[in-house]
Amino acid sequence: MGDSTSITRDAIYLLFSGDAELWAIIGVSFQVSTTAILISIPPAIAIAFLLAYTDFPGRRLTISVFNTLLAVPAVVIGLTFYLLLSRQGPLGDWRLLFTQSAMVMGQIALSFPILVAMGHAAFQAVDKRAWETARTLGASPSFAFYTVMREARFGLLAAMFAGYGRIIAEVGASMMLGGNILHYTRNIPTAIALETSKGEFSQGIALGLVLIILALVLNMSLQYFQGKGQVSS
Amino acid sequence: MHSTHIIFSGIEKRFGRKPILINSTLEIKSGECILLCGNNGAGKTTLLRILAGLDVPDAGYVSTGLGKHPWKQCRQQLRNTTVYLHQEPYMFDGDVISNLNIALQKPYSRKKRNGRVLSAIKWAGLEDVAHNAARTLSGGERQRVAIARAWLREPDILLLDEPVTNMDQRSRSSTIRLLHNLKQQGMALMITSHDPLHFEALADTSLRISDGSIRRYLSKDNVTPIHSRIRRNEQLK
Repeated sequence: MGDSTSITRDAIYLLFSGDAELWAIIGVSFQVSTTAILISIPPAIAIAFLLAYTDFPGRRLTISVFNTLLAVPAVVIGLTFYLLLSRQGPLGDWRLLFTQSAMVMGQIALSFPILVAMGHAAFQAVDKRAWETARTLGASPSFAFYTVMREARFGLLAAMFAGYGRIIAEVGASMMLGGNILHYTRNIPTAIALETSKGEFSQGIALGLVLIILALVLNMSLQYFQGKGQVSS
Repeated sequence: MHSTHIIFSGIEKRFGRKPILINSTLEIKSGECILLCGNNGAGKTTLLRILAGLDVPDAGYVSTGLGKHPWKQCRQQLRNTTVYLHQEPYMFDGDVISNLNIALQKPYSRKKRNGRVLSAIKWAGLEDVAHNAARTLSGGERQRVAIARAWLREPDILLLDEPVTNMDQRSRSSTIRLLHNLKQQGMALMITSHDPLHFEALADTSLRISDGSIRRYLSKDNVTPIHSRIRRNEQLK
């Protein structure tokens, strides 16, 4: 193991030299996580809206379930889907284990509770008169939903960024469901785990930098949008 | 706006064990203004929200030219023909123009949409605040934006919940002038208020809601000398 300065220098060189293997890993990460979040967002936001704006038997229980799921570790989600997708499991015939699809499924399960719980909080923060005003002004239910969503947009954006941040950085589910196969299911967190275990710190740090830059970009974007919607004096 | 004559009958509503509306009956016609008075918690807002199709009554019928139907069957029709204005109208995030645009649900061309919005701004005297964030407006200006949205929507019936509460004299006069204008255009108005004196000149019928029932208590032909004097003073201002 070299000194930390040279390792960091090597990491930055790897990142900006266009190392094919490194960028393939980054590509897999973004492809899987973006697919997962895009699939999760529409139903999760719809459920969050229903939980905030409607009353049905089991509503409180549903909210509690989603809040509880927030605390479930990624590795437990990975284990659950592993059991479901393994040859002997109920979904074994789908032959999805150690594929990107399996990783997407795991990441959907991870991001969904965050989107629902934070989306629910965002919708709850919007005055109920927004929905009623839109409806009384002749908006269809879908347009009124869009109008309320626009009012809750900063909270919803925060939910999306938080969900994306969680799944792109999780290692447990991706490792168990993807199998860490190079050029196919090896993503940033699983690669960091692997390279670190081999003593190859440069690539691990380079990939870690990508995650840090991503977190920074997501947070700055959120700040930018929220700054525009700040409360006026 | 169409010619309207709707009769609501047998309206019942309870909150828990407390009856709010008991077998209430109400008739609304085009170009008519009904003033609904009553104490806090008497059921004025509840009644308005039921008429707007926002809240569900425990029982009730709606009679239109097409016969008498249970309220639930007419809910969509009520939503299509009424606009309900909250006591504190909700302003969407954005400027006054974007708030007015929300009332234009029909697929207008951009040119026609802009033209309609500009007309509404002029009609409601909102020229000076058209580009201001709607949430920064005063109570009176917000109420005028809300009434302008209703004007764009052109409902048969406009339901207003305490529209001039906490307003100064000038804002109150502007608001009442707009309501006069809507009435002259043939819109039916139903207004709830703690203080009926403000609407004496506007209201054709005054009703009082108490203990769950609605009673006629004052009409234009039956004003007391003090009401008459206050009305004259308001008009002079």
